[in-house]
Amino acid sequence: MDFEFSPEEERFRQQVREFFMKEENSVNGARREWDSGEGFGPFCWDVLRKLGKRGWLCPTWPKEYGGLELPFIYRYILMDEMFYFTNIYSTVGAGMAGPVILRHGNAQQRQEYLPRIANGEIEFTLGYTEPQAGSDLAALDMKAEDKGDHLIISGQKMFNTRAHYSQYHWLACRTEVTTPKHRGISLFIVDLETPGITIRPIWTVGGVRTNEVFYDGVKVPREAIVGEKNRGFYYILEALDYERISTASGLERDFQEIVDYVKKRGESTPLERQKLAELAIDLEVSKLFSLRVASMLNNDRIPNYEAAILKAVVSETEQRLVNTAMQILGSYGQLKKGSKWAPTNGKFEWRYRESLEGLITRGTSEIMRNVIAQRGLGLPRS
Amino acid sequence: MEFGFSDLQEMLRKTARDFLQKECPKSLVRESEQNDEGYSLDLWRKMAELGWMGLIFPEEYGGVGRSFLDLVLLLEEMGRALVPGPFIPTVCSGLAILRYGSEEQKRQLLPKLVEGGLILTSAFTRPIPPAVAMKDEIGREDGMYVLSGTRLFVPYAHVADWLLYLAENKRRRTLLLVDRKSRGISLTPLETIALDKQWEIVVDKVSVPPANILGRSGEEIVTKLEEWGALAWAAFVLGGLEQVLEMSVEHAKQRIQFERPIGSFQIIQHQCADMVMDIDGVKFLCYEAAWKLSKGLPANKEISMAKARASDASRRVCLLGIKIHGGVGITVEHDIQLYFRRAKAAELAFGDADLHREVIAKEMGL
Repeated sequence: MDFEFSPEEERFRQQVREFFMKEENSVNGARREWDSGEGFGPFCWDVLRKLGKRGWLCPTWPKEYGGLELPFIYRYILMDEMFYFTNIYSTVGAGMAGPVILRHGNAQQRQEYLPRIANGEIEFTLGYTEPQAGSDLAALDMKAEDKGDHLIISGQKMFNTRAHYSQYHWLACRTEVTTPKHRGISLFIVDLETPGITIRPIWTVGGVRTNEVFYDGVKVPREAIVGEKNRGFYYILEALDYERISTASGLERDFQEIVDYVKKRGESTPLERQKLAELAIDLEVSKLFSLRVASMLNNDRIPNYEAAILKAVVSETEQRLVNTAMQILGSYGQLKKGSKWAPTNGKFEWRYRESLEGLITRGTSEIMRNVIAQRGLGLPRS
Repeated sequence: MEFGFSDLQEMLRKTARDFLQKECPKSLVRESEQNDEGYSLDLWRKMAELGWMGLIFPEEYGGVGRSFLDLVLLLEEMGRALVPGPFIPTVCSGLAILRYGSEEQKRQLLPKLVEGGLILTSAFTRPIPPAVAMKDEIGREDGMYVLSGTRLFVPYAHVADWLLYLAENKRRRTLLLVDRKSRGISLTPLETIALDKQWEIVVDKVSVPPANILGRSGEEIVTKLEEWGALAWAAFVLGGLEQVLEMSVEHAKQRIQFERPIGSFQIIQHQCADMVMDIDGVKFLCYEAAWKLSKGLPANKEISMAKARASDASRRVCLLGIKIHGGVGITVEHDIQLYFRRAKAAELAFGDADLHREVIAKEMGL
């Protein structure tokens, strides 16, 4: 067991941190864009491109694809600093789609997408969920009719959050009606400019824009299929494991804000000290679980139930954080940003609403527990 | 940055587990709750032969010179097997002597401790309220210190050779090595939930030579000893909780109700998942704290985190484990109640979660 980073890794972290501090204008702008809930804007793209130029976005990838061929811990460090400074824990391209394309895409797809992902030029939106297929992903029904050199896709996706600013759709469709259902699903990369695609906003109580996406007879080339036809579900499971990997730095930052508030106000009560100390423990555990996953990936071991634990614990810690903050702020906690009386500039009023999605997206807490029990402990499926 | 153990550490763990599976069956654990010694002298001797007492003591005293992280691994296995006896008090008190003792004290005590021939325990806790107890007094007579007082929750006092006795005088804390067999010392057993041989000690005008004072600052030594003790018990409990989880998962796979294994019901699956998340949290907090100690880094916040989480998690995990077992889970015959009761003792030793959260809050500047 070694909880220390190497001198090279520490040096890298210093460099990354200095980058984020130096590019203050873009970084703060990126943070504002992200926190507004409206998605990537020019500042986000600027930060991503600058990170990409240095090879930092996808540092584990082969150099031919824009990476630096470094161990996973460097990606961990980048994610940690990026989450802290911009509040963006990952891009879909670098975090989920890219790794799957690297492992399962063909040479043409790797060449087509990986360099642009690594350079911070393109983003993907996940296209899994449908009105009738959430946790039960295999129930998805968007149909892709095989016409030989192309397929025709029709159906509806739900909660595709980055659709309105992404270039590509990481799309799960039914290419065959099978029993069990998951054996008939294929994974596609679709250019979102393709005719027949309609994107309509859905707003969450947390102020985040997500989307319904409608496909009406959309013609998609056969080359858009990732890996084998009808094996898409397995690639998606892999992408889901990657999606559940995050660090806890964004929460640590928010935690520090409420701690600083209490210190500045003075006279912390025993109850406040107990709750904040317990949160400190939760955050330390979140960090350790994140490091465990990083250590596994560093040793080329793919985490599965460990990623589920990480996701569940980080999102549930987030809940406890926002609830504790609101308790400490009392009546003032309900004041929105902009009110002259709002403490922490209404930060926790917003986070209280926005944190709900963490319990549900990327796999609900309940599904995470199923994964831990079944994949981790070998308990039998219901 | 690495989350794994060296081959040597894995071997230590495996050897300990195999040894204890054979030499510390639950029958021994149960027997120790009922007999006078409260532990197996034979097992103690064998542990000494394996070098366990001396694991983190330097070779110059006959020890193995390993790290606190290695000790935590060992304690985890001991907790899994519920090894009864004065191991933790002896090793922690020994560490205090190693760190703060005079050359004479170290020479006299440590080699014997490492061989398994010396038992130490700490007598820190003063009763509340003090009114019913022997009044605390520390006087001087003929160049000797004369001590009186009552101390509670002293583990294995009845077999200890020396007590690390905490005397308080006008807010100044002094630690003295007191011969447990001194005239003027009387012991009364405390019947505790874990039946783990804790004692009330009454010290009535016992003379102690100045050479038996340990170190200079009793305050600092007590703080350190309590940190080591807290981490030791957190690691011990961790092992127990891992065993509780394994028993519960095994039971869930075997037990058929409503024509299916109960482990196929979601509620049981989620309860087991909750246990995993709690246990893994305790695990890495313990390892991180131990690693920091091994590197000579300050670790009081991390130790308090490990002990706080271990204390709370132990209640949750044992409760879920019992619930999963259903009716048999509350019988004396089933082993799970042994873990349930021992976890409570471990929770209370060297500070529970509330106390340690206060330490953490202070470290955070609140």
